[in-house]
Amino acid sequence: MDIFLSAIFAGTSRGAIYALAALGLVLVWRGAGVVNFAQMGQAMFSTYIASTLIAQNYSYWIAFVVALISGGLLGALVDLLVMRPLNRKKSSSALDSPAMRSTIPVIASLGILGVLQAAAGMIWAAEERGFPTPVNSLGLVINGKIMPFTAFDLFVIGIVFVTLVATTYFFKGTGMGLAMRASALNPEVARLSGIRIGLVRTLSWVISGVASSLAGLLVTPSANLSPYTLDLILIIGFTAAVVGGLDSLLGSVIGGFALGLLVSFVNVYDAPEDIFLAILIVLITVLIIRPQGILGSKEVRRV
Amino acid sequence: MSKASSYGRKNLVISILFTALVFFLSIKLDPYNQGQLSVALMFFIGILSIVLLTGASGQISLGQGALMAVGGFAAALGILNLGLSIWLAIALAVIAALLAGLLLGIAAARLSGPYLAGTTLVIALAIPSLATRFESVFGGDVGLTIAFGNPPAWLTTLMGEVGYEQWQLLATLPFATLALFLTLNILGSRTGRSWRALRDNEVAASLAGMKISETKIFVFVISSGFAGLAGVLYGLRGIVGPSVYPISLSLLLLTGAVLGGIRSILGALIGALLVVFLPDLIEWASASFSPSEQIANYLPAMISSLLLILTVVLNPGGIAHGLHHKKRRH
Repeated sequence: MDIFLSAIFAGTSRGAIYALAALGLVLVWRGAGVVNFAQMGQAMFSTYIASTLIAQNYSYWIAFVVALISGGLLGALVDLLVMRPLNRKKSSSALDSPAMRSTIPVIASLGILGVLQAAAGMIWAAEERGFPTPVNSLGLVINGKIMPFTAFDLFVIGIVFVTLVATTYFFKGTGMGLAMRASALNPEVARLSGIRIGLVRTLSWVISGVASSLAGLLVTPSANLSPYTLDLILIIGFTAAVVGGLDSLLGSVIGGFALGLLVSFVNVYDAPEDIFLAILIVLITVLIIRPQGILGSKEVRRV
Repeated sequence: MSKASSYGRKNLVISILFTALVFFLSIKLDPYNQGQLSVALMFFIGILSIVLLTGASGQISLGQGALMAVGGFAAALGILNLGLSIWLAIALAVIAALLAGLLLGIAAARLSGPYLAGTTLVIALAIPSLATRFESVFGGDVGLTIAFGNPPAWLTTLMGEVGYEQWQLLATLPFATLALFLTLNILGSRTGRSWRALRDNEVAASLAGMKISETKIFVFVISSGFAGLAGVLYGLRGIVGPSVYPISLSLLLLTGAVLGGIRSILGALIGALLVVFLPDLIEWASASFSPSEQIANYLPAMISSLLLILTVVLNPGGIAHGLHHKKRRH
């Protein structure tokens, strides 16, 4: 029973992180029509910045905030330096079909991932380093009894919950959020009604960058930091986003938690080597049975 | 009729010239570069699989490395358990990859763009991890040991001493030529035109009577056969294991395909040579300002990734597109 409970808690805390990663992917997909495979590379880069600051005796929280800001800046840079120029090239002969138009940004994002990983290797070497947690990550003790969850689990779940509430408020309660939803729904009409599409796009890259950097900061303590550690989170985040529906913010969060529980149960009751296989089975099953995901809308996957 | 046969003759001439050129190089080059050139030929076959899949029919796959692994493991199991010769093992590898491609294609025909990219990326990670999972069959992290072996006696009597790297190159050459000849014929034929129609406008292609799903699956099968062939040759250099077919291999092939020109056979050759010889080239070019080891290790990855971004943004057609810009017909 204790094993079961700790699997549930570990899964929920992991799921919260996957939800952030999935949220980051969905934000850019809705906002800019790109599935950003460089996302966790950006997160890796800003986590390295935080790790460097901590190594120089800055407090965890200063490093935390700096990492989130640099995550946002990286997102903006990716959009301004690569995706916008790419968008302007749509008349080029290699981009003359819908199939290629959706393929080329994917390839560009893989290039960005490669650049970020190589840069991290050059700056910080390939040696793996640990990453601290702001609170204790041993089993929490209440009334002399060891609980099946840690203080860090609670911290992760809490901070992700706050982030999700803030994101929801931003999209439902503010003018800019409304503008972003409008341009995701129909860019042409949004542009005609005076919304600055370019700005909205860049903003979705920024928010996505912050969200995925947060995911990176929260997941790294349980895995050593190296240029390639966060690749797994990208895969899981993508699967979570597809399970939830690639164009649904709420869906991506649900997908994240579902994947967190799945990974946790595979870890506890089976073997960690099976995680990829389990993810692949879930991904293919969802794509075959319900390609639009749990909450996605159907017409997104038009021919 | 005469036009068709002259077209076929042209393809044959190109293939023969290609063989002669590589054969000439195999005699002139030193063993290290013979080995490198043989890897470039393997990558050429792998990149042709991307040219067929992505360039011609518009479907993206980040999982060609996984199909290469399927080919490699099938051959290794055939050699080690059934005692097959490497030639039969290569045939077995291609058949296994064709079957894997059929399964993949059935799933992939329903997907497009980023969905397909993400799914194939997960496949690229999941397939090699199977080797660790079923350690007793696939040899775990270490993998299985296979090799090109020694050159046959008739070759040494014909050519004198044949080094290991030279034999590796000469054994790879006929398959690279075959892949080249097949691709030339496929892309120049009615089949190739129908794939391009699929890429350019799926709705129009289906209105014109094309069976979309069947065609997509067929493209996947053919492309997987090429990838499997590349994979078994790549494995025959020594080891078939998860570390031989990492996700970075899939991305390296994609990089080569894009840099050279994703729609061009010549581009595939340029791209393969580029990704294989780029590290040597960079080492040679950076020798004068001797970068630290840490930077030197990541310099090839940095430069090829930067080239990938620059190509996509500035010249999506790749190098080959620039070379024969004027006579493009698609």
